[in-house]
Amino acid sequence: MSETIPMAPPAPQRKGRLRDRAATWLPIAVLGPSLFATFVYVFVFTGWTLYISLSNSSLLPSYEFVGFEHYASLWENRRWNVAYTNLFIFSVLYVIGTMVVGLLLAILIDQRVRAESVWRTIYLYPLAVSFVVTGTVWSWLYSPTSGIEFLVRGLGFESFTFAWTTSRELALYAIVLTGVWQASGFAMALFLAGLRSVDQDLIKAAQIDGASMFRIYRRIMIPAIGPIFIAVLVVLLQFAIKTFDLAIALTGGGPGIATTFPAIYVYDLMFQRGQIAEGAAAAIMILLALAVVLVPYSLWRVWRRRFELQI
Amino acid sequence: MTAVAAYDPLATAGAWRRSRAKIGVYVVLGIFAAWYLLPLFVVILNSFRDLPEIAENGLIALPRSFSFSAWGEAWSSFCVGGTCEGMQRNFYNSLMMTIPATIISTAFGAVNGYILSKWRFRGSEWLFGAMTLGVFMPGQIALMPWAFILGNLGLTNTISGLVLIHVVQGISFTTLFCRNYYLSIPDDLIKAARIDGAGFWRIFRRIILPLSPPILIVTVIWQFTGIWNEFLYAVVFSSGRGQPITAALIALSTNGTNVRTYDVMSAAVLIGALPPLLIYFFGGRYFIRGLTQGAIK
Amino acid sequence: MRKCATLAAGAAVLALAFAGTANAQPKTNMLHQWATGSDAAAIAKLGEMFTAAGGVWEQTAIAGHTANTLAKLRADVVAGNAPPAVQLKGPEIAEWNATGGTANLDELAAEEKWDEVVAPELLPVMKPTGNWVAAPMNIHRINWIWANKSVLDAAGITELPKTWADFNADCEKVIAIGKTCLAHMSADWTDATTFEVVVYGQDIDLFRKAFVEGDIDALRSPGMVKAFEQMRLMVSKYMDPAIAGRDYDTASNMMANGDAAFFIMGDWEIGVLLAAGFKPGEDILCGQAPTDWGQAGFILNSDSVVFFKQKDPDYIEGQKLLASTILSPEFQTIFNQAKGSIPARLDVDLSSGFNPCQQVSQKDLQASIAAGTLVRSMAHNMTVLQKYRGAMMETITEFVNSPDMSPEEAANVMADAVEAQM
Repeated sequence: MSETIPMAPPAPQRKGRLRDRAATWLPIAVLGPSLFATFVYVFVFTGWTLYISLSNSSLLPSYEFVGFEHYASLWENRRWNVAYTNLFIFSVLYVIGTMVVGLLLAILIDQRVRAESVWRTIYLYPLAVSFVVTGTVWSWLYSPTSGIEFLVRGLGFESFTFAWTTSRELALYAIVLTGVWQASGFAMALFLAGLRSVDQDLIKAAQIDGASMFRIYRRIMIPAIGPIFIAVLVVLLQFAIKTFDLAIALTGGGPGIATTFPAIYVYDLMFQRGQIAEGAAAAIMILLALAVVLVPYSLWRVWRRRFELQI
Repeated sequence: MTAVAAYDPLATAGAWRRSRAKIGVYVVLGIFAAWYLLPLFVVILNSFRDLPEIAENGLIALPRSFSFSAWGEAWSSFCVGGTCEGMQRNFYNSLMMTIPATIISTAFGAVNGYILSKWRFRGSEWLFGAMTLGVFMPGQIALMPWAFILGNLGLTNTISGLVLIHVVQGISFTTLFCRNYYLSIPDDLIKAARIDGAGFWRIFRRIILPLSPPILIVTVIWQFTGIWNEFLYAVVFSSGRGQPITAALIALSTNGTNVRTYDVMSAAVLIGALPPLLIYFFGGRYFIRGLTQGAIK
Repeated sequence: MRKCATLAAGAAVLALAFAGTANAQPKTNMLHQWATGSDAAAIAKLGEMFTAAGGVWEQTAIAGHTANTLAKLRADVVAGNAPPAVQLKGPEIAEWNATGGTANLDELAAEEKWDEVVAPELLPVMKPTGNWVAAPMNIHRINWIWANKSVLDAAGITELPKTWADFNADCEKVIAIGKTCLAHMSADWTDATTFEVVVYGQDIDLFRKAFVEGDIDALRSPGMVKAFEQMRLMVSKYMDPAIAGRDYDTASNMMANGDAAFFIMGDWEIGVLLAAGFKPGEDILCGQAPTDWGQAGFILNSDSVVFFKQKDPDYIEGQKLLASTILSPEFQTIFNQAKGSIPARLDVDLSSGFNPCQQVSQKDLQASIAAGTLVRSMAHNMTVLQKYRGAMMETITEFVNSPDMSPEEAANVMADAVEAQM
């Protein structure tokens, strides 16, 4: 898991300086186009959005500067506040749910079960399916008139209700549940690989000491895969912050405005309503939320690398 | 990974407890598998059922009728976007977009990863960090700037335009994966090759590429599914008969005031999900292995 | 067969009309959101007529959320590649006109005398600054009430409710025989449709002030609170609890199959009922939704096509041909027979081939123009800017789905939300 130390500068060569120079510049030249494209994509696009958020753009982008008024009106907006609260609740539940289910499945599969690859494939396949498909199919299953509720009532449980997507209080949890369904295989895969890479001697030693299986996982295996937890957490959080298609396909942001998310709000303002500036302001708030996740992660990585190099 | 076989966590307990625990493990795995497979079964079954029967017995039921007609309709005769050619054209468009974009972005990622791991220069770590930021960009932000760029390049409403977008957005992912994976290739190998007089490309071809299949499989799977399933750009940057498959799927799933044709929708959903599903089924084992070696360092 | 004959005749006339002017090959690519079902079939007719008249027809249908269509339009305009023809409505026509990107159709309009035949209420929408930039395809009526005759008979109701008090009294009768009174599906546009029909029926001046002019005080007024009270009564008592997440066709079938007595919905319901094998005007009654002021009333919605400036002469020629086709009596007839709406031209004879409900619609339109009660629809994006409409619809749909939100609170929230957008 640790980083390798950067290699020493190229060894001096006999064939002359021309070749030396080529060896220094060729990689940079080859990297150039990708760097340029990514630079435009990340920094120019973000900068453009930031500027637009401070402009008076409405139907089409315009470049007349007006300051922070769109941020102010954004935070006065009821639906935006609902969206931001939803994002917070969703992220917490989705990340915890996915990690718990993923870890549980990883530990169970780690028990040397038969047909391991079959189980893994079953848990992993939702990752291959688009949000549009996931949302559509799950919305059928959640539908009280044709899905799970209809089925269970048909079995004789007349009072059974399972109408999550149509309830203002529960619709958000339906999205969480579906999100967990889709992503927990991913968490499972990473956790499983982590568990398998734990030093076998440590485990054997613990076994000889008579430690129970539960204790071995809790005290040795899970702490050993700490870095994987952080990686999974970051990946899931950025999925959560960008949540768009799933909510659109599952609930369309409803009932009412109960399941609006920031990304839906941005899309609505920028494209449906012709309020490009305020939409851009909302987009910048999403980027800030991403930064809240990413900056600590980067710092942690830097810190970890330093620490490991010292010992 | 081979060491795993030596260790059975449940071996710490007695025989009876062990087999009881093992049954418990299978029961829990089975319950979760049922949850994961339910939607898949429902769509597969419904794609073979008749519409009146679905209406009567609900979406979750064993078929009492059987026909392939929904598949035929979804593939070649369903009316969507004003033409009654089913999804075959959209399917073809998606392939024409996804395959080149996947190959090109993976190729760039491999070379970039090679440079950023084996030919580091002053500031290359920072550049790598900046490139990975692309992974986190929300699609809505990039929509309008992309429109501007495509317009200036004369690529609006073309498959090439979509390929360009997906290559640029994909480079961050593929570079991240490949670079992290190549870190695990010993630098001594490279050093030795250079002392023998091998150059930049020769080392890449002779040493790096032969060691790359696990990570290339990961990036191909990741890119293919991501690009195939992408919806926003697919709708906005295509036109007329050039729309990819997600545009047709969204048309089927949100059909306003019309009666829902669950049978045709089910078949369409399966057709739309089939290529990435197949790739997962066949490449899944490599995916897990490569992902752990590449993505999370 | 008769449709085919009309189509061919119309096409021939158009072809002749354009034979002289066109050296260029007329071409178009129309951007719209009618991707599936009867809507798509209606647009396909336009394509057939355009092709028959010698044009090269292409279309870009974008399904789902309207935002998808508008995102596509915006992206194309930013890319400097504006589509030749786009389905756009109401105030958006004026907004896009203000960007300077729309084409001017005055010459064609003068030649074909559009000003004399198109419904007067549509003129300011289609010519926001005095020039024709859009061609109207139809006129939808929003304030319809549909009723299942057998349920009314069973409940002892002899005629459709005239006022909201009648409606409430009828609902009590329907509930007494154990049926749902009002079929509904909750989505922002359906909630807003029902609510605007209530506001219009209670107080037409309030409708104009609040929903057409976007007046904050009107949105907060006691009249609005009263409308929300009626809405709460309908949601909590006259509708069933499962309105959220229901499909449109399920709601329509509730009424048509006799599980519910009434359905308040625009006239596209005619197309839906016909497709499902019912006979609107016979087994399903249609009538003006309740009004407390005893006159003919009409809430109008119109679909239209806006034309953007083009450089390629083929596409410019195509725009003329398309606009001319859209406003031809032949297209207006065929399109509206399929869609349930009525022609945007007032000189089309509806006596044959149109449904009885559509004939009522045309008569009520004329009567409503005479009485000065014609308004454009807020819920269907014919009045205020999208940002105000969005704020209004959010509040309305939130109110419908929040049993604990009081009518006073709803009126205040709606006024605040609109004010925040100013």
